[in-house]
Amino acid sequence: MAISSSFRLFSAKIPQSLHLPYLSLSKTLISSTSILPRFSFFRPISISFQRVPTKPSSSSSSPSLTSASLQPIEDLPPKLQEIVKLFQAVEEPKAKYQQLLFYGKNLTPLDAQYKTTENKVQGCVSQVWVRAYLDSDKNVVFEADSDSVLTKGLAALLVQGLSGRPVEEVVRVSPDFVVLLGLQQSLTPSRNNGFLNMLKLMQKKALELYIEAKRSSELTGVEDPKVGVAGTGETGLNSNVEKPVRTSNLSSKIGGIEDSVVRLSSEVSGRDSNLGGGATSETALGSRGGRIKEILERALSPIELLVEDISYQHAGHAGVRGSDGETHFNLKVVSEEFEGKSLVKRHRVVYDLLQEELQNGLHALSIVAKTPSEPTSPQNQIPSKEGTFGIRKASKEQGLASTLFCAIFETKSEEKEVHLAPYRAEWKERFIITSPGGDPLTPSILLYLLSTS
Amino acid sequence: MASVLKFPSFKFLNPNPISPTSASVQVGFRRFSCSAPSSAAVEGDSSIGSVSLGHLTRPDFPILHQEVNGSKLVYLDNAATSQKPTAVLKALQNYYEAYNSNVHRGIHFLSAKATDEYESARRKVAAFINASEPGEIIFTRNATEAINLVAYSWGLSNLKPEDEIVLTVAEHHSAIVPWQLVAQKTGAILKFVNLTEDEVPDVEKLKEMISRKTKLLVVHHISNVLASALPIYDIVHWAHAVGAKVLVDACQSVPHMAVDVQRLDADFLVASSHKMCGPTGIGFLYGKSDLLFAMPPFLGGGEMISDVFLDHSTFAEPPSRFEAGTPAIGEAIGLGAAIDYLSAIGMQKIHDYEVDLANYLYESLRSVPGVHVYGPAPSQTVFRAALCSFNVENIHPTDIATFLDQQHGVAIRSGHHCAQPLHRHLGVSASARASLHFYNTKEDVDAFIHALVDTINFFSSFK
Repeated sequence: MAISSSFRLFSAKIPQSLHLPYLSLSKTLISSTSILPRFSFFRPISISFQRVPTKPSSSSSSPSLTSASLQPIEDLPPKLQEIVKLFQAVEEPKAKYQQLLFYGKNLTPLDAQYKTTENKVQGCVSQVWVRAYLDSDKNVVFEADSDSVLTKGLAALLVQGLSGRPVEEVVRVSPDFVVLLGLQQSLTPSRNNGFLNMLKLMQKKALELYIEAKRSSELTGVEDPKVGVAGTGETGLNSNVEKPVRTSNLSSKIGGIEDSVVRLSSEVSGRDSNLGGGATSETALGSRGGRIKEILERALSPIELLVEDISYQHAGHAGVRGSDGETHFNLKVVSEEFEGKSLVKRHRVVYDLLQEELQNGLHALSIVAKTPSEPTSPQNQIPSKEGTFGIRKASKEQGLASTLFCAIFETKSEEKEVHLAPYRAEWKERFIITSPGGDPLTPSILLYLLSTS
Repeated sequence: MASVLKFPSFKFLNPNPISPTSASVQVGFRRFSCSAPSSAAVEGDSSIGSVSLGHLTRPDFPILHQEVNGSKLVYLDNAATSQKPTAVLKALQNYYEAYNSNVHRGIHFLSAKATDEYESARRKVAAFINASEPGEIIFTRNATEAINLVAYSWGLSNLKPEDEIVLTVAEHHSAIVPWQLVAQKTGAILKFVNLTEDEVPDVEKLKEMISRKTKLLVVHHISNVLASALPIYDIVHWAHAVGAKVLVDACQSVPHMAVDVQRLDADFLVASSHKMCGPTGIGFLYGKSDLLFAMPPFLGGGEMISDVFLDHSTFAEPPSRFEAGTPAIGEAIGLGAAIDYLSAIGMQKIHDYEVDLANYLYESLRSVPGVHVYGPAPSQTVFRAALCSFNVENIHPTDIATFLDQQHGVAIRSGHHCAQPLHRHLGVSASARASLHFYNTKEDVDAFIHALVDTINFFSSFK
């Protein structure tokens, strides 16, 4: 037992990999530890002390913490993992504090000009500021400061652990890891939880930087048809859908922001089709959906036609039962045929065309009918108020390859001029997140936004 | 170290008959055990040479006997909220177990009993502050709500553009914000009295600020940061001379000393139960009868009405007029029990003990290098309450409070203590605060100081 305690001491101080200089110590230990065959003492040259079974390597404060409920430590950015392990290796609480203070001491000071209200963490009893910017590799770099040394230590942990990492990684970090440090840091989300708010602010800033960077890179690529639509390498676009959209919107003189919006939405729809499960994709439509499309195309020669099967949303109510599932659709039709017709008349036209379907199980249509000269409204309008959003999840049971999401959200930061219009007017109150097949960042963004909304 | 004593002559101090025998106290001189503590002859210091009030009453407060973070709890955050004796806890439990029922409306036995106890609590509060009748006590959720009541009911109907309201920069947010809101609506103007160099509100300036335009003064009795007391008697006198009313925030005074509203002649006075050993969720507004009768309702609903029609209603007389809806019945009764408990000890006794403890705390803190305590220095003429807000050079108060808690189990508060304007005036963003009550002892203070020194050393070694 004395041996194991000295082992413990030993292991806490040395790094994982061992070098020969420690061999001499091991020799003295060997003589008294012949009873422990687990350790490869008998081959001094290749001794490895790495996994000493008698010593709990992680902090014994709560072994249950490393259960599945916490974000696995391997998911954390590498430097943060290191920090966590370091704290776990230090057992005495006072020493942990010293460690924390040490981190804080080595934090690069934040220039006074950055100590603005925008950069201040809400809810800290002490004052904490956080600054973020992107480096040349588009990784986010943080700087922070605080007038309280303990908070500064926590800020330093976050700064060191998260700086220089890609935005997606930063945004995915869950605050749970702090319990592993053994600092008795509360995780209760409350106005006053400085640590939680610090992390959230850092993630929010990273996100804003990402969006701004993406937007400015799209704006510069305005003339290039590849950029924005196929720039991400998407193929298999619905040509009859995508190109007309771009042309018609490019012709409307609204401004650079709308273009990037259009690009984003077409990018999004591009992703949908790429994954074969998109609401706008032909392959997801069943036979009825296909028929609807055909009928409308033939009769109205639309320059834009979007047919979306939303029957799963209504699964279970009277109109659906007993039919083959394709009962509710969203339609968007932009056609010259609507010229001079009132809204009611336009809807009537569409209903008349789909009479047969309506009599054979088609239960409801939600129609947007525009002429080419009309602004395909919300798509070109930039709502300036912050949107609220709920989720609509396309379910797997509908035969979609994966849980299908597509990004629609509005952000408030008018001073940064980041506006993203809803993909579709009627979806203003819902959003779906792009599937992991597309840009891996997007699900995280939306999940993050969800958690902060 | 601890000895169990029977002191028959002390029974009157503890309404709870169990405690004297279970008390484990340190006794300096056993031969004094037969004399009453108030006559212990050692120069007015009633704690040395006999059992101190703190030691006597501690057993009544079960929550104090626990460990936090591996150390014994030393609870020094009483200005934020006080602990409750078993008598109060029992009263609450008993209410819910034996006679919980809605008050004022029912006819059956339980309801009658609940009403009796509730109104009895009101009488206890009235007697406790020497109001002229129980109807002058309005039960509210807490002192903050009581101030809002005055602001929205009296303020909105009495304040006109250019009317002035005088406050000090040391007021609690609850005494400032409602008046800001009402001033916006009525066009009244808020005027603030600054501090002197001794870090107390400038009473001379306050006197000068009162004019014919002044309609209301909102002042604390005892400051929750500076520990200073304002001369309410004089202030009311000056205010009444110009026809102005005075609202006294007595949250830090009522729990610690005898307060006599008739002697002070205050127009309004507010306090919270949870700071005076009563439950949370209940507080009260004292208002002079004629003022209350002239005030329009604050919250509308049941109980505060007389007759209700579809297009209008008539209202009840005070206090019912200002007690809409089902009140915190159990809590009011709990407050009554707290008042009983405090009265059994005697507010003068509590006050005397706490003055002693206050001086001890102040002197001990000041002896620690690098510590600056806010507020006046106590003396024969200057009263200081048993609390100290302080800052340590080069160490953030949050760091101090965190370390004290985690390493020593000492509970103090760090922040702005709901007095941001005051902190701004003092030029700091936050301060640490240790605040005592009659169940604290000198040992608590010693433990705090010891822990503070350790904390300061820890952080200093890092510079």
